[in-house]
Amino acid sequence: MMRRKLFTLTLLAIVFTFYWVDYGITQEVVPEKQKQETQVEKKTEKIIPSSKNIKEKTGIYVFLGWMWLSIFVLIYILRQKIKEVDRLFLLKFFSSEKK
Amino acid sequence: MRIKNINIGIQAWFDERIGLQSITKFLRGKKVPQHKHSIWYYTGSSILLFFSISVLTGFMLVFYYKPTLEKANESIGRIMTEVPLGWIMRSIHSWSASFMIAFVFVHLISIWLTKAHRKPRELTWMSGVFLLVVSLALGFTGYLLPWDDLSVSATKVGTDIPRSIPVVGCWVTKLLRGGEDVTADTLTRFFGFHVSILPLFILILIGLHVYFIQKQGISIPLGLERKEERVKKLPFWPNFVYREMVVWLLLLGILFTLSIFFPPSLDKAADLMAPAPEGIKPEWYFLFLFQVLKVFPSKVLFINGDTLAIILMLFFGIFFFFLPLIDNRPAEKKGKIITFIAYAFIFFAIVMTVWSLM
Repeated sequence: MMRRKLFTLTLLAIVFTFYWVDYGITQEVVPEKQKQETQVEKKTEKIIPSSKNIKEKTGIYVFLGWMWLSIFVLIYILRQKIKEVDRLFLLKFFSSEKK
Repeated sequence: MRIKNINIGIQAWFDERIGLQSITKFLRGKKVPQHKHSIWYYTGSSILLFFSISVLTGFMLVFYYKPTLEKANESIGRIMTEVPLGWIMRSIHSWSASFMIAFVFVHLISIWLTKAHRKPRELTWMSGVFLLVVSLALGFTGYLLPWDDLSVSATKVGTDIPRSIPVVGCWVTKLLRGGEDVTADTLTRFFGFHVSILPLFILILIGLHVYFIQKQGISIPLGLERKEERVKKLPFWPNFVYREMVVWLLLLGILFTLSIFFPPSLDKAADLMAPAPEGIKPEWYFLFLFQVLKVFPSKVLFINGDTLAIILMLFFGIFFFFLPLIDNRPAEKKGKIITFIAYAFIFFAIVMTVWSLM
């Protein structure tokens, strides 16, 4: 009789455990919670943009330096061109060309 | 010598097909007045420069951006942290949009003050006012796209303002939000407006605006016209274009430098159920309107304060749009009063903006 009871209880325990597993109740609850918490933490972070590493940072500063240097050189060239085209305009170079 | 021959060959090839020489001839024939206020002429092309940069950087951002409730904030985060130089692209996009709107304001104010809107340039002014409205709408719709706390709250406040307009107010709010509240539908709607509808409008308006300028020519300030001074005029091509290039280069340098040193950050993703965070503020170009609504009394006699403020703003908007028709005698006393209104408006806008920042 005692054995029968023990057998029934074990069977019930197995069935219960089976369904428990099936419904995901026995799944590792704590890591899932932790996962959610990390996700929330991730989302609450404010992203302040900056260069990823020293290589990128140096690259950006080098680019900035070259960019400003190129700008000044191009402005110098453009100023020369402006002087030239203004002189041609005063000489009515293009209007005489039309004639 | 050989390179020069190749160059001439290429030019001849294009000339045969698209009439390159006739375009150059037309541009050379177009004249730009030169006087002490000529500096304001450069603002128009600068707007076009910043618009082009915004479009180009926008193309790059749209490759990675996902306009859904779950992914919007995350995708911007990805652009800023994972995509190579993505944070710079976003920063340039944001800064160029701000520069564009600032230059539209400066351009319109300079035209108002020099009375360049006078007959026969009424339509040029009106298309310019439409361009300002569309530029502001682009800024407003773009502000929501990162979907962070601040942008969602500011959009809630911003889309709630039209509700105070009598009769059509609630309908306008519903149309903007795609429902009663700011939701995922608002995000997709704003994204659609930002990347397709508004850029299309702006391109059509730019085309019209440039056509009107071509048709009427560039105006000279009223003061110079009245003095009947002979104003020196330069050909648009290449004399004026070279000068514009100098300005563009300097502006590009400033834009890139600011974008690198002061990039916009990204806040956490918005929670629609959470209460609005403290210190909600719109973009800088809406600050003066925001402050007006903030300081306006809640009740004036028997009228709701917000409704009255919105009605006053609408009246000012209508006045601004029809300015060339109202300011039809610019040289007389009426014209001087309207110039005084321009200075008063500039002073008011600056004071209100500074006040809202304090």
